[in-house]
Amino acid sequence: MKISSLTRLASALALTAIAFGGDSYAIKVGKIITMAGDPIENGIVLIEDGRITTVGEASEVQIPWDAEVFEAPDLVAFPGQVEACTSGGMDRTNESIDVAPFLDVVDSVDPVNFFFEEVLRAGITTLNVQQGNSTVIAGRGMIVKPSGMTVAAMMVRPQSGIKIAITPKRGKSRAVQLMILREAFAGLRRTLEGMVQDSEVGKDLARREALAQGRDFEAEEGKGRAMTGSGWVVEGLEAVPRASIDSKLLPLLDIVEGRISVYLVCSTPMDVLHGLEIARENGFLSQTVMLIGPTCWKVSDEIKAAGVRGVILPSTLEHTERAPFADEDTVTLLPTHFTEKEIPFALASLNSTTQSLWFQAARCVGLGVDREIALAAITSGPAEVIGLGNDVGTIEKGKHGNLVLFSGDPLSLQSQVRYVFIEGKMVYDRTTDTRLQHLMEGVEPEGTAADEPVVEDVHEEEREDGDK
Amino acid sequence: MITPVFLISSMLLALSSTTADVSKGKDLVVHAEYLHLAPGELVRNALIQISDGKIAAVLPGRSAPVGAISVHSVMAGMVDASARTIPSNGAVEQSQEVIVNLSVTDALDLFNPAWDRLARSGVTTALIAPPDYNVIGGFTVVVKTSGAKRVDSRVVSGTPILRGAIGDIPSQGNSPAFGSPRDYFARRPTTRMGVEWEWRKAFFDAAQVERYPEMDFEGADVLRACLAGDVRIFIQAWTTADIRTAIYLDEEMQAEGYGDLDLVIDAGAEAWKEPDFLVRTGTPVVLPPFPATGRLGEQAFMPWDTGRKLIDLGVLVALSAHGETGLNGRLSTQAGYAIRGGLTFDEALACVTTNPASLLGVEERVGSVKAGMDADLVLWNGAPFSATSNIVGVVASGEVVLAPR
Repeated sequence: MKISSLTRLASALALTAIAFGGDSYAIKVGKIITMAGDPIENGIVLIEDGRITTVGEASEVQIPWDAEVFEAPDLVAFPGQVEACTSGGMDRTNESIDVAPFLDVVDSVDPVNFFFEEVLRAGITTLNVQQGNSTVIAGRGMIVKPSGMTVAAMMVRPQSGIKIAITPKRGKSRAVQLMILREAFAGLRRTLEGMVQDSEVGKDLARREALAQGRDFEAEEGKGRAMTGSGWVVEGLEAVPRASIDSKLLPLLDIVEGRISVYLVCSTPMDVLHGLEIARENGFLSQTVMLIGPTCWKVSDEIKAAGVRGVILPSTLEHTERAPFADEDTVTLLPTHFTEKEIPFALASLNSTTQSLWFQAARCVGLGVDREIALAAITSGPAEVIGLGNDVGTIEKGKHGNLVLFSGDPLSLQSQVRYVFIEGKMVYDRTTDTRLQHLMEGVEPEGTAADEPVVEDVHEEEREDGDK
Repeated sequence: MITPVFLISSMLLALSSTTADVSKGKDLVVHAEYLHLAPGELVRNALIQISDGKIAAVLPGRSAPVGAISVHSVMAGMVDASARTIPSNGAVEQSQEVIVNLSVTDALDLFNPAWDRLARSGVTTALIAPPDYNVIGGFTVVVKTSGAKRVDSRVVSGTPILRGAIGDIPSQGNSPAFGSPRDYFARRPTTRMGVEWEWRKAFFDAAQVERYPEMDFEGADVLRACLAGDVRIFIQAWTTADIRTAIYLDEEMQAEGYGDLDLVIDAGAEAWKEPDFLVRTGTPVVLPPFPATGRLGEQAFMPWDTGRKLIDLGVLVALSAHGETGLNGRLSTQAGYAIRGGLTFDEALACVTTNPASLLGVEERVGSVKAGMDADLVLWNGAPFSATSNIVGVVASGEVVLAPR
């Protein structure tokens, strides 16, 4: 650490651009599609301590002497793609209880699940893992990278969001769904108001219970503080130590106070309107991302006016409506529509293998969406939508060194993902991807059950001993 | 107000005078920047004249006449040799395991919206087969996927094709060999071995009729026609073990001197594992849709380069949707996947047009864009099968099924 800060001082003094120690990488490719300006032919990306420090033409960039250089003059670098909301890689995606924000997806994600291997192979380097759509208020999700043997190693941002479903799960009515949802927030409010009252009359049973459980009142997050947020506010909450509030309710308070993103599932326009209303009432509009259905473009003006952070488009990509008498189809191309409405949006994979993000972007182009818009909708678009716009989604200075090296055009069926780099480190190499070889060429990976078992001659040693 | 209109129309007349000869008396004219007449035959800036549902002429090197449909690329309407969505399981006759006298023609429901989806996806001709819950399910029918709601006007007559299945599926749901039967419809066989035995028994019995006329039974004539090679047999066989069984059946019939079956392996996912069986008997294969994770029906494993491997060995390959729905179930998607697996564009085109057409014996009518053939066209806004292209129009028998916007 000392050495690296010394060198930083050195570079600050403009003595030399050479870095020392630390993790320094240089990736030199035939073309860089930066998604932040024009593509660069024969470009170099320099990455230090996981972040991109320089992007430029090979002739203009000085590679630090200590950098680990990776050269691939025939490959095309593209930003690591960003999956804005997925339930892949989890043990079970939904809860049987309706309101479960106190749960954490961290306990459910299996790092060795093939899902993460598949998305990495498709060139996705950032995933927002949230629960499924069948819980009213789901557990807290997180943003991960698909590389690492433990959840801790995969972590990009813990507790990054909570999914709230306005669209009811099968068998439930919308009325019940909304009643449960409203009651969850109303219940939180009643509880907090009750606690404020109790603290005024000295009847703070909750506090005594929390004390008995040894919760920390002195830590900064345990102390009482006034409630904030753009929705409703309980006056006098500063008198109530936060540590005395039921930990099952705290995530809801995080939502109301605007500390956690909300992924709002709205498959129809009516759901969108209900969702916006509930988000406004409870103060989480500005941190809301909507997972919308094909018809929801009809309320795009309302979505725009509400000022949500963005939308995640349905996999159908377009909506066709037939006028019953005119026998005329009205086709709405969703990416184009939301671009025109200036609402940030992201595409979502159809599956983790054959119809991943790049395939969706390619379909968009086929349907007539501008190529740049389609490419942005799998990189910078989703990065913005999940609140990581400053960290991922493009190849530019200051962002994570997340790069995918394609053998050609990222949207071609004949292109292959050859290498993937996350924070400068190579995490995927197609030549060593035995499972892909199995899938593409039928070559059984060594050591799989289908292999001929290697029978060890256990008596060999004995015989040798006997010979002596 | 009259004068300007008159002026414009006379200008149009003047402009179109050079093109009048190409659209006069024709029902429809389609212009393509790239026209794939057949695999390996590409012409530029071609006009396709259509009249009476047939291609009247193909004129390369022309510009698009006023009012004609004009697109980036045009290829022949696709042929799915294993489109299974149409008849329900109710189309399986349950009284016998080997049903050779019935045809699936009688079970077609032309009012099913699946036909429209199929046609709009660019599949203009399809083989409809009875489902696989019988050992031999009966005769198939080749139909156009759009047109009048009358079966006779839709049928494309080609080689008569009987279809059956080898493997576990025909025995699924049948009652076990022990205990009391669950219901009146207790059926045999109950195992994979039983299915194989039914195939052998059917052909063996039919062959005996030559020498012992008293052994004649209903359908023996059809089975004998199969042995004589007059009726083609599509056998669904997912796994390599089942493909082997099918080929052994054929070779056994030959060794016994009973005849030579005209076999086609349908859903031959594992044909790549022991391709020699197909190579030595010259048996074509219809591949099922490429799997996302490798495994398909009957746990068969099909890698993505299966088409490449088989074509390199000289096996005739057709791609199919095999009843899969959604994006994956589109034959054009499958052709794209085959290209991802190593096929050239022309090979992939053959696998969804000329190859399946020849397997169905309808290559004289469909599968390529030539004068005199059915006017079945797929219109693309870019290079066909590319991930960034889309089917924007479909013409079937001269009718616009999907109009380019």
